[in-house]
Amino acid sequence: MDVSNDFLAQKANDLRKDVISMVYQAGDGHPGPALSIADIIATLYFKEMNIKPDQPRWPERDRLVLSKGHACPVVYAALAEKGFFAKELLPSLRKLNSSLEGHPNMKKTPGIDMTTGSLGNGLSIALGIALSGSILQKDFYVYAIIGDGELGEGLIWEGAMAAAHYHVGNLIVFIDHNGYQSGGKLKDISGINGLIAKWESFGWHCQEINGHHFQEITEAIQRAKNEREQPSIIIANTIKGKGVPFMENDNSWHKRTPTREEFEQAMACLGGEQNEK
Amino acid sequence: MRNELTNTRRAVIEALLERAEKDDAVVLVCADSIKSMKADDFAQRYPQRFFDVGIAEQNAVAIAAGLASSGLKPYVATYAGFLTMRACEQIRTFVAYPQLNVKIVGANGGIYGGEREGVTHQFFEDLGIMRSIPEMMVVSPADALEVYEATKALLDFEGPAYLRVGSGREKRIFDQIDHFQLSKPRAIYQTGYDAVIFATGPITKRALQAAEKLKQAKIFITVVNVPTLKPIDKEEIAYFLKNSQLIITLEDHNIIGGLGSAIAEVSTETIPKKIIRMGLQDIFPESGEAEALLDKYGMSIDDIIKTVRNGLSKLA
Repeated sequence: MDVSNDFLAQKANDLRKDVISMVYQAGDGHPGPALSIADIIATLYFKEMNIKPDQPRWPERDRLVLSKGHACPVVYAALAEKGFFAKELLPSLRKLNSSLEGHPNMKKTPGIDMTTGSLGNGLSIALGIALSGSILQKDFYVYAIIGDGELGEGLIWEGAMAAAHYHVGNLIVFIDHNGYQSGGKLKDISGINGLIAKWESFGWHCQEINGHHFQEITEAIQRAKNEREQPSIIIANTIKGKGVPFMENDNSWHKRTPTREEFEQAMACLGGEQNEK
Repeated sequence: MRNELTNTRRAVIEALLERAEKDDAVVLVCADSIKSMKADDFAQRYPQRFFDVGIAEQNAVAIAAGLASSGLKPYVATYAGFLTMRACEQIRTFVAYPQLNVKIVGANGGIYGGEREGVTHQFFEDLGIMRSIPEMMVVSPADALEVYEATKALLDFEGPAYLRVGSGREKRIFDQIDHFQLSKPRAIYQTGYDAVIFATGPITKRALQAAEKLKQAKIFITVVNVPTLKPIDKEEIAYFLKNSQLIITLEDHNIIGGLGSAIAEVSTETIPKKIIRMGLQDIFPESGEAEALLDKYGMSIDDIIKTVRNGLSKLA
């Protein structure tokens, strides 16, 4: 879709407001990890992905596997904005009988392509979907978003090895490189050094970008699409909690519910109305 | 060809080959198991629909989940324990929970299946692990022909399932199986109701051999083959429970979680009975020749005969 970066910025801001409202109203959730991928999600859903909201299971569609499933409020917000389901559902996040579960459930939520949430699995699943494209001779792209903390899971590297071996050119993976995992900074917890070198040595097409810069995101996706022989990794340097200054790089917002005051403050930062839906 | 089929692993591939010819959605995923599953000809005939991901079982199952999400029908086939234990979470969360049409084929079921390899390759917890996962069908055929029939039946069933096979050393039990139904327990030997032995898997052969010897001693029993542990046909199981005072279960699996547990669960809800569970008695076995292993660990034909005789003498 031909849309401007200003348009994407507006959409991303709207998604961030939805995330804050949803987590506030649910009284539970992960605002920090959702905010860090809001710009990537806005670019995918409002510019890149070939999808039909009235046909969530359209066989030709592009797919997204949100491996870091706990960031799902931002995807739910995008799906609602696209019209996969009514926006009125958003405040029901994580509540009993809601179709918007704490982690993505493909059986319940229209537009969710794969059930996710337990970390480390999304890359291999996305690889399976990418392979199905060549078996079924359908020309779609599979996007996956994995958190940098997930790179601690061995299965990521099993998938990394296999995807390069199978030369899946229709697989485009973002690493949301915000530098934090639940328990603290990655650099203090695990050996995250040399990401580009690691993925290149596995045989991937590698790029490193600013994950909050729409031009860079868009251009990286285009280069990834042009690469038909290799899977693509886009290491997106991001800020956990991006867009709400008091949440940025404060890892207590990995999973935390804002108070009324914090909610109002966050919405004010995002220039939004403060009324609950 | 069906008559010569004795290898339970090969029986899966035979059924898949047959179906793959007319069904483009059939896919086989191996984890360095192409040789052990005897799947070379599948790989050669359908290179687009065959994946050997190497020694990476979690990857195999996760990839299969992705394939199934697009409507394909992947079979993941390798050693039972590496799938049901190492890739347990992938099976549970990404196959069973989203009810994807992935079939998990676990080889080396039981200590007979793993025999000389020792405990690392003997798998006697798989049925229990798989049975405890919601939405999973759990199938444990008794010989190659039943595996072949079960594989064909599973191809027509849309949803997650676990199919247990052995090492390839199993003996044929059935000459033919008419109208195989996945969930149907069948009385495959019936001279009377002095005892009922429920059996699953290739060890069913031993129940039949014991039954023949008992008959010569004028003890008349029924052997019920239970090819599907979940969902289990409660009505049919209850019918056999009701008909005898001596109920025995026989499985090449830990006595916790498998057939013995499944029958006991049905019994407590329908016809409460004392049940004697024959199988691996919650201990780790060792390397050895397959038949000798079963003998040593309480599953010999004599053990079955003794269990029936002791049970009957206590009833008297």
